[in-house]
Amino acid sequence: MNSNDPVKLGPGTTVSRRQVLRTSAAAATVGLTTPYLGATRVFAANPVEIVHWSWLAASDGEVWAKMIDAFNEAHKDKGVTIRMELVPEEQYVTKVLAATATGRAPDFGWGTAGKGAQLAKDGVTVPLDDLAKEVGLAIDDFSASSITASRYPKYGNAMFMVPMDLMSLQPLINLDHVAEAGLDPNAPPQGGDDLIEWGKAMTRMDGDRVTRSGLLMTGSGVQPTVTWGIVAEQMGFRRASDDLKTAAVNPEAGINAMQWVLELFDTHKVSTRDVTDRYKEFGTGNGSIFWTGPWTLNGYVGQGLNFMAADFPKIGDQRRTYFEMGGLELYTQSDPGRHKATMEAVKWLSDNSFLWTTVGRGASPRQSILSRDDYKTAGHPWKVRGAFVDGMAYADILEIPVVAGPEFTIYSGGNFLARTLEGVWAGTKTPEAAMAELQERWQQALDED
Amino acid sequence: MRPRGVIVTLISATSPAAARRSAQGERAPIDWIGYVFIAFFALPFLLFNVAPVFFGTYVAFTEWRIIGTPEWIGLENFREAFDDEWVWLAFRNVVLYAVIIVPGVTILGLGFALFVNQGYPLSGLARTLFFAPNVVSATVIGLVWVWILDTQFGLLNNVLGSVGISPVPWLTSADWSLVGVSIASIWWDLGLAFVLLLAALQDIPRDLVEAAKVDGAGPFSRLWHVILPQLRPVLSMVITLQLISTLRIFSQVYVMTNGGPAGSSSSPIHYMYTVAIVRNLYGYASALAIMLFVVILLVTVVQRFLLKEAR
Repeated sequence: MNSNDPVKLGPGTTVSRRQVLRTSAAAATVGLTTPYLGATRVFAANPVEIVHWSWLAASDGEVWAKMIDAFNEAHKDKGVTIRMELVPEEQYVTKVLAATATGRAPDFGWGTAGKGAQLAKDGVTVPLDDLAKEVGLAIDDFSASSITASRYPKYGNAMFMVPMDLMSLQPLINLDHVAEAGLDPNAPPQGGDDLIEWGKAMTRMDGDRVTRSGLLMTGSGVQPTVTWGIVAEQMGFRRASDDLKTAAVNPEAGINAMQWVLELFDTHKVSTRDVTDRYKEFGTGNGSIFWTGPWTLNGYVGQGLNFMAADFPKIGDQRRTYFEMGGLELYTQSDPGRHKATMEAVKWLSDNSFLWTTVGRGASPRQSILSRDDYKTAGHPWKVRGAFVDGMAYADILEIPVVAGPEFTIYSGGNFLARTLEGVWAGTKTPEAAMAELQERWQQALDED
Repeated sequence: MRPRGVIVTLISATSPAAARRSAQGERAPIDWIGYVFIAFFALPFLLFNVAPVFFGTYVAFTEWRIIGTPEWIGLENFREAFDDEWVWLAFRNVVLYAVIIVPGVTILGLGFALFVNQGYPLSGLARTLFFAPNVVSATVIGLVWVWILDTQFGLLNNVLGSVGISPVPWLTSADWSLVGVSIASIWWDLGLAFVLLLAALQDIPRDLVEAAKVDGAGPFSRLWHVILPQLRPVLSMVITLQLISTLRIFSQVYVMTNGGPAGSSSSPIHYMYTVAIVRNLYGYASALAIMLFVVILLVTVVQRFLLKEAR
């Protein structure tokens, strides 16, 4: 049979094989390409679907999903819905950049204050001052520090995010280990010496080897980097001067802080480098004191871990800890008319963030929520979240709000800072050499900004 | 395999009508339907494989962060790469990975294939088990091996402990992390080498081996003088494929150690990922990609040449 042989389709109807092939190919082409021909983002005018990207994948993600569900429930008769899509945190900025460049950016998403200078500079994120006024967002209700943190002084000082939660790093303490060691849970460590004593009392050893860390650390990645960052700032080190012109101010303090971290492993022997998953180790009782953020609380409470949160000890001259502010930012749309509807949704989420800041994570940036009578009694027990609310008073180690800000952040396992310090933790680089590298690279970044 | 569209074109070109037209000096009409069939493969291939290669090559000579136009900076990215200690570390690591993983996979794959080829009872089950890791995703492999290699609570250290060996920090020490990742990689990659070698073993004529046996050759002598020479083409392919695969190692590194501690287990692709996705330096990452491409090309050519010489 060749391609011109007739094919019988039905009574009285014949077509050649070639015609069948042609028709099939044409149909397949149309069928396969049609979905892409009109694939510019489809937003039905009514109902409105607002696209939201989130990276929240820890236990806080479940609470955020409830917030989005609550919004959709409250607006089911108003023709507005939020469609949430999860994007891995590490790839978040790349995907937002790519989506914006192709005109398909999500309407809004999560941001971290101080880390979005590049997005603001490139016009990826939308300045929100006018939109906030337009939808009636009560800016005065937000703490002044949260609004300040949402701005980039170098880029018009506009507000680029609506603050949602204020977070800090505070020590979680396993109360079973405290009881076992005969320590008083009502008098947690306040200074560096107390901390080491508590760590020693709760550490378990097998010969010379730490089998359960009194102070839970890892040999690389985020934990030693952020610990160094907090201790260094407490000792007087500054990653950048206030005017953002000089990098690595008071390097001696930074070097001393590296030494302090190393001593946890090698001198005091209250930590082991042999920890692969710090969250899991604390959750399974293989670590006694673990500083982390409020995003872990929901999970540990849910699994019934017996723990409390305490204030970060004063190891240097000042009690300070890492500050992180999560907020919602709007991304540039090909149709700017969408911004107002999105801002209204963001306003609703902010106005109704009681659940988020009592169960989800962090302290509320809004006075109206903080002053509610039930703020301390709602959500998770105060003994596990109180330090994260009260501790905001001294959580002032912020991001450096420049384009190269991600290279300065102390809460990272893969940025320039973390990679440079890893050599110190592994014993392949001296603290002095690491500090010299940091100083050079950071200064270059500030000069180029 | 010839593309189907070409076959259609050839069929129509050799049809009686076409032959007639050809005899009359007429030009055969183009049969566009052939191109339609090719297009289903060719267009996505050009769009998603070929075009990115050209675009990536261009980006390697620019500074670009997705938004805005790439800024031409000539060879600056390559100059920076040569001064970047992390690039050298990543390339040094990948050489070490190759030194451990390629022989590991080849020797174990051959050993397992020889075992299964004997046709012992349950060899069918063994065949399935040896190949099984290859169909599991790298992420799952990584997570399972993180558990197996955990210093304090890992299965492997427990077994070693039972014979009096102190716990080895497989993934948390700069001295051991590369070995830990290599062990998981060998386990993962073994399946493909095993299947290829088993198929080749089964193709060796029985009478060759039998003749060697009749001539008094022992098992080792038969392996060395009869079986291995027969396997050489497949061994060459296995080594080449494994070498290329190892030079591109990423998933296991990302899941198991994220390149640490202190970059001791990083690889060029992992570093490239960090530069591109974490730091958003696409020009620099593209330059690294080109460097890796050149290295893979050179290593493959040299290795193929050496194996050809040995033959």
